[in-house]
Amino acid sequence: MTLRIALLGNPNTGKSTLFNRLCGLRSKTANHPGSTVEHQVGRCTSATGDEFDLIDLPGIYSLMLEMPESKLCVDCLEGRIGDGRPDGALIVLDANNLLRNLQFAASALRRGLPTVIAINMVDLAQRRGLIIDEEAASKLLGVTVIAVSARTGVGVNRLLDALAAAAKAQSPAHPAISLPTSEPGSVASCAWAAETFAQMAAHPPLKIDDEMTVHDRLDAAFIHPVIGIVVFAIIMSLLFASIYWLAAFPMDAVDSIFGWLGSALHSMLPSGVLRDLAIDGVVGGVAATVVFVPQIVLLFFLLALLEDSGYLARAAFAVDRLMRRFGLPGQAFMPLLSSHACALPGIMATRLIPDPRERLTTILVAPFMSCSARVPVYALLTGLLFAGRPLAAGIAFTACYVLGAVAALGTAAILRRSILRGPSAPMMLELPDYRLPSLRSAALVALDRALVFLKSAGSVILAIAVVMWWLSAYPHSTPSIESSDLRTQAEVIASTNPIDSESLIAQADALDERAQQSGSFAGQLGAICQPAFAPLGLDQQLTVAVLTSFLAREVFTTTVFVLAGAGQSADGEDLGTLESVRRATRSDGQPLFNIPTAASLLVFFVLAMQCLPTLVVVRRETGSWKWPLGQFVYMSAVAYGAAWVAYRVMS
Amino acid sequence: MGTNGDLPVDCETESQYYWTMASTPLRIPLSQLPRGQRATVECSALDALPREHRCLLAAMGLGESCEVRVCRPGTPCIVQIDRTRLGLPKGIADLIMVTPIELTAP
Repeated sequence: MTLRIALLGNPNTGKSTLFNRLCGLRSKTANHPGSTVEHQVGRCTSATGDEFDLIDLPGIYSLMLEMPESKLCVDCLEGRIGDGRPDGALIVLDANNLLRNLQFAASALRRGLPTVIAINMVDLAQRRGLIIDEEAASKLLGVTVIAVSARTGVGVNRLLDALAAAAKAQSPAHPAISLPTSEPGSVASCAWAAETFAQMAAHPPLKIDDEMTVHDRLDAAFIHPVIGIVVFAIIMSLLFASIYWLAAFPMDAVDSIFGWLGSALHSMLPSGVLRDLAIDGVVGGVAATVVFVPQIVLLFFLLALLEDSGYLARAAFAVDRLMRRFGLPGQAFMPLLSSHACALPGIMATRLIPDPRERLTTILVAPFMSCSARVPVYALLTGLLFAGRPLAAGIAFTACYVLGAVAALGTAAILRRSILRGPSAPMMLELPDYRLPSLRSAALVALDRALVFLKSAGSVILAIAVVMWWLSAYPHSTPSIESSDLRTQAEVIASTNPIDSESLIAQADALDERAQQSGSFAGQLGAICQPAFAPLGLDQQLTVAVLTSFLAREVFTTTVFVLAGAGQSADGEDLGTLESVRRATRSDGQPLFNIPTAASLLVFFVLAMQCLPTLVVVRRETGSWKWPLGQFVYMSAVAYGAAWVAYRVMS
Repeated sequence: MGTNGDLPVDCETESQYYWTMASTPLRIPLSQLPRGQRATVECSALDALPREHRCLLAAMGLGESCEVRVCRPGTPCIVQIDRTRLGLPKGIADLIMVTPIELTAP
């Protein structure tokens, strides 16, 4: 029997680190219907063979607050979500902050579930001279208390054994224990916590420093109105530049693997529709998505390291002043930051913003933030714009993020001064201790995000890739007279001048390829819509790619690769995906991408609303189609106008 | 200008400020404490705050009778309670009344 255990605790207690330590790769992100806050469910097994499903609930300060996270925790503990009431609860406390954490534990214990308390970060506490007496703590709290270190793994096995015993016995906190009935933070609750702490800890609480500490100095720098913003900009630039440099190696490896797979299929399958579908449709489509996974993994790995280090909370305050000027609340920082991963969780996380006008503003501007689905497009276009210049490409990549953020803030300012005018709510945040981030936890976060990206995008992309291949491969066009003449000439000179003969055949192949592109269904569709996109420098092929990307923007790269016949040059030479797009030509023989076109497309993709799921979620969150439709029209108009300006300037 | 009853808390000079605080058991807004100053959050000190803010602050550790230390005045005002550091906007710090402790003339 698998025991369902709810994992509870204050924010910054190392709860998720403990969850990752226990479950590792055996976890997945969940989002119960009706809930707006993500949580993870993972499976772990104790040394004695007991199996647990751990529900990692969001960190909260109290179960009694009128906040979505608190409500989710209460709903979970009372069995209103999932498969009924959990078999037990694991409350995680920070050994270095027990006075507050004990009050939370008391309110959770009153729920009456079989419970075990893990006092985490005992290694850090011991270094500060604080020793926890587990036996005394267990007697005082009426449940088993285990001192653990999620980072080092100390006490983790004992914790699972205690959980199994408590859940199987179905025994809640000892009835003789008297817990405070008032809310955490009340005088009675504080007094109980102080008395309990004094009896369970071998040393009294540490005194607050009177002198300015290193901690204070770092805070002063990171939150400073000028230095803080400069540090933030430098850190973000380094982060995105390092994504370029570090991701190059795994991207090349992925490219090679799919290239090899395409070649293998080419030699194994007989010539015909099936082979074309397998190589150009399926392998090409999957390769075009998977090749950018290394960048997504690196982005989330580095963001997780920054968050774990304690810096991101300071960054929230550093940018808060700036955001206030645009009418956005401080609480909008995290939804907007998480919109860099995907606008969907970002938009759903705006329920944390209490003021309805501020929340709606954040929802409407969140899709401007550069999400991970844009990363492949940015990588492709900046790679084309700055071939062989990783620093310039990195700066351009960062500029895309800045442009998206500027558009979001500008739009927010307009909205808050017009249709969504009103007062702002204050931001109150806990600033966690600075610490060395956990590489393991960051790696697990990055892996989880990559899997979510592949799962949510992969099936759609593959389906669209196959459709796009079909649209571009049919109907078959007949060879042109010009190409037939070239082939005739090639045959004539084949014996006397084989090199020139091969060159003529290559030219004939290229002509046939262009004829096929313009005559196919995709080419015909592009021809109808191309005049509307001509001011942006787009031809038929790129128009088709942009139109399909309105379903999901990451499809753009796939479409471009398929339409450009990625993987092989005109003379059959195997090429990397980027190189094949770089060499791709239009029907008139000009390069598919020139500098002005790449620039205008880059700007277009930064600003355009090209994500159907986002529109659906906006409708769900706002309760009306008028907001997502208005958002779509507004963002498309802004994207078109800005792309046109970029094209004219670069021309 | 912040006040506590009829007592003025804004002073012309720094020494006047310290003299005033050392000789009189004032309750002043948290936002007016200098860096490094410690203070006690007295009973009903949070009454001026809206209920949702009061409950959240209390759950975060800034409840009645707790001792705070100002790590950074201004916006945000960063205070330390036990080992917790909270960042508060000045508007909120203005509404939290505290009694400074351990003050001596410079």
